Amino acid sequence: MNPDDLEKHLRSQPMRQVPPQWRADILSAARQASPSEHAPRTTHHVPRSPSLFSTLLWPHPTAWAGLAAIWLLILGFNLATGPSVPLLAKRASPTAPQVLMAFQEQERLLSELLGPRETPVAERPKPAQPRPRSELRRRLLMA
Amino acid sequence: MSAPLDVERLYDEHAQALFAFLLNFTRHEADTRDLLQELFVKLAKRPELLDGVRDERAFLLRLAHNLAIDLIRRRGTREKHYEQLAGDTIAVLVPADEPDEGAFRKALSTALGELPPDQRAVVHLKLWEGLTFEQIAELLGIPLNTAASRYRYGLDKLRERLRPLYDEIK
Repeated sequence: MNPDDLEKHLRSQPMRQVPPQWRADILSAARQASPSEHAPRTTHHVPRSPSLFSTLLWPHPTAWAGLAAIWLLILGFNLATGPSVPLLAKRASPTAPQVLMAFQEQERLLSELLGPRETPVAERPKPAQPRPRSELRRRLLMA
Repeated sequence: MSAPLDVERLYDEHAQALFAFLLNFTRHEADTRDLLQELFVKLAKRPELLDGVRDERAFLLRLAHNLAIDLIRRRGTREKHYEQLAGDTIAVLVPADEPDEGAFRKALSTALGELPPDQRAVVHLKLWEGLTFEQIAELLGIPLNTAASRYRYGLDKLRERLRPLYDEIK
């Protein structure tokens, strides 16, 4: 037996045909799985009249969204940095009347402890000026 | 963006070749049908798979082979014995009117079922798809020498099995 002849004879043997009834089912399954089948059907879509909102955004809703984002950033930055500056300034320097009252209270306490003292000729008290803390302490210690 | 997939054209051009390969490989008609459907559904879901493909037939056969391998692995060894029994009786060839030729085709179908699946795949692609060993190696993802040796071993077994019948009809 010539090996080539057998090989040729094998090659000539017809394979079974795919059952014709499979075609419709398989293609139907394939169409249902197709991505275009899941897209919204424009034929059934009834266009609505454009709303005022969409009219205002047209034709560049992306640009409007970007602008809104920038404004939000600016607002956030202001909120984050704005109030702390005057608040810090407020805390750092108490008002002058408060300092005067605190100083007068300390004078009264010292006079109670040390007793009466000769007071110089009364001078018209000058309005209290905010002094550096070190100066105030020195005066208190000297009193 | 890939062009819309012409599923009907692909089916009409390649379904026969895919059916024959899958039937010979799986030896199971129901599995063949499921795999054929799974293949076209996969193509429909991902039409970009065919982008840039030069040889559609080879690509689809490779896809079919991979799907069949996945099915066999999912089945495991439990059903392998059932498939071996079923494979002995399944007809992968067209029945012949002439009795001697009919007997030969029946014997050939049985002999193909007795081959290991990897040899059977190579023999089918070489004899009935007319592919070269290079194409078979690329399709099955095996070395060229492996493809050639599997074909040689498979053909030798068929020759040994079919010699008496072939000598009668020659």
